Amino acid sequence: MKKTHVAVDSSQAYRELKQNPYRPWPARITSITKLTDTETLFEFRLIDHRVRERFNFNAGQFMELSVFGVGEAPISISSAPSKKGFIELCVRNAGAVTGALHKMRCGDIVGLRGPFGRGFPFEEMKGHDILMVAGGLGIAPLKSLINHIHDERHEFGKVTILLGARNPDEILFRQQFDMWRHRDDFDLIMTVDQPDETWDGEVGLVTRLFDQITVDPLKTIGVICGPPVMYRYAIDEMRKKKLSVDRIYMSFERRMKCGIGMCNHCGIGHQYACIDGPVFNYWEAMNLQEAM
Amino acid sequence: MLKGSVMVTFPFDMKGSYMYFRILEKDQVSTFIEGLAHVYEVVAPVMRGGGYSFEQVRDGSEVELDYPLTIIPPKKYFVRPKECLFRYDSHSGALDETDHEVSPRVLFGVHACDINAILMTDKIFLGDYVDPYYKARRENTLIVGVSCMPIPTCMCNAWGTGEVSQGCDLFLTDLGDRYFVTCQSFEGAHILDTFAKTHEASAEDKQALEDHIREFSQAFREPVDTTQLQLLFDAKYNDPMWETIGDPCLSCGACSAVCPTCYCFDVVDELDADGVAGCRIRCWDSCLDSQFAEVAGGHDFRPTRASRVRYRFYHKFWAYPSRYGKMLCVGCGRCDVACKVDINPRRIVEALREGESK
Repeated sequence: MKKTHVAVDSSQAYRELKQNPYRPWPARITSITKLTDTETLFEFRLIDHRVRERFNFNAGQFMELSVFGVGEAPISISSAPSKKGFIELCVRNAGAVTGALHKMRCGDIVGLRGPFGRGFPFEEMKGHDILMVAGGLGIAPLKSLINHIHDERHEFGKVTILLGARNPDEILFRQQFDMWRHRDDFDLIMTVDQPDETWDGEVGLVTRLFDQITVDPLKTIGVICGPPVMYRYAIDEMRKKKLSVDRIYMSFERRMKCGIGMCNHCGIGHQYACIDGPVFNYWEAMNLQEAM
Repeated sequence: MLKGSVMVTFPFDMKGSYMYFRILEKDQVSTFIEGLAHVYEVVAPVMRGGGYSFEQVRDGSEVELDYPLTIIPPKKYFVRPKECLFRYDSHSGALDETDHEVSPRVLFGVHACDINAILMTDKIFLGDYVDPYYKARRENTLIVGVSCMPIPTCMCNAWGTGEVSQGCDLFLTDLGDRYFVTCQSFEGAHILDTFAKTHEASAEDKQALEDHIREFSQAFREPVDTTQLQLLFDAKYNDPMWETIGDPCLSCGACSAVCPTCYCFDVVDELDADGVAGCRIRCWDSCLDSQFAEVAGGHDFRPTRASRVRYRFYHKFWAYPSRYGKMLCVGCGRCDVACKVDINPRRIVEALREGESK
């Protein structure tokens, strides 16, 4: 099957290093930053230096996080690939594994295996304008991409980020993005559904922000990540801006149990979110049953 | 496939024949099995509690080679119903993967459909990523196939899975008082030569084989028409037939458990009583389970029974073939027997074709 974009095969190093793809590697929690009531940013360091030194990934890929005794959960990577030695995962306290992780402290040991999946086509995106739309926790995988673009900012045209959340308290990485609003190399617009008295940004759904931006459809690549209901509306807006269907990328959330295309829990139509995704372009996604 | 613990010597003279055909008298089968049992763990169909089951045997007379269908397919020897992937210490993160001894095994008396099913799961577990647990067992298992006669639920004629030309080690075709043995691998020929008393197939035996093939093909119920099934599936993806057929599903997962091609699994952790050490468990799962496609936070991508039934067949008739070129069904009919509400591939294919939407 022809792939319209191909991930850098960081799994090659992974395969040489690990004969057993189910084997998690011990990692130590090196920092914990509480972002909101339910989301926390964890930073990990792989303990085995051979694994750590050969670890690399693409923005958009995910890790399988083990809390030993509780289980495993797939979490997308939030840090930029250029940040070596550490892995940041932005985790919502939503289930058994993530709940147990939220009770852990710096220095505690978890297991990590990965990276898995196909990330954003970073090389193909170079030379283009980027239009990102993120809702809620959807910013977690996009943060990796944003930081990666930031590291190689000169390779890209205009970068626009539309960021939505339910209320100001639920905006992830709010401090960082508050500062970014004043930068001239990123156009960042934030919006919330329910503002409070401190809020000085936009109010309303993230899709309403499309009125405020101009897009050159011939040189723009769209990126969408957010809650399942957001995709259709965000795609509609991008299509109204005349973006081609194969230039709209989105990352899907599924419950990958194995990460290697075997267990079938993340099946979307005839593809697997874990090896064919989680990043698909809209052309691929519109041909997948039950994608959205 | 398998090295086993026997010294491999050059066992036979090919005599110019392009395939190695032998004749094994039925009264010699017991001796063959008992000989194998000295070296290998031999697993063969035996009668257990009113049904047939693949079990380890030592006594050749227990083995029932003329069986209609086992309840559980031989996949249980490759993808274990429940297995420990590794043990861990939850404080230090130290892992112990050493607890995986694989004994050389012979699966004796496997029907063609079940062998084809194993070849299909090979594509999943031995693809881009290799499952080391599956691989170890697969490489240490010899497969001896045996011919069968279709029972009413059989539909391997629809999928072309009623024969194995490559993929097992030996295949025995029942010619009444003797078996016509096709050697499909060197190891197969070797165990036959070492443990069984056989003689060369004569022209008469080959004639009997032809007669068997004719009899086999005529014993099926009317075949199911599987022409352009993927296109049909596209056309009827939102057809009310899915609600009609799928809504009564009990989500019991019996079809997945007995299906030789269903390989979905779940991965969970178990802790020992000390609360420190534990093991990571992999166990069979079913896509009909209500939580199968649920993500954290509770969103379920397939919330209804009908949508899960449709996904199961979509995977078998559309998703798997789009990747590997073959339907993920071998027509063994086990799900037909197991399902209490009459959901089976034959009914689905017929409904797709005839517009059953009552």
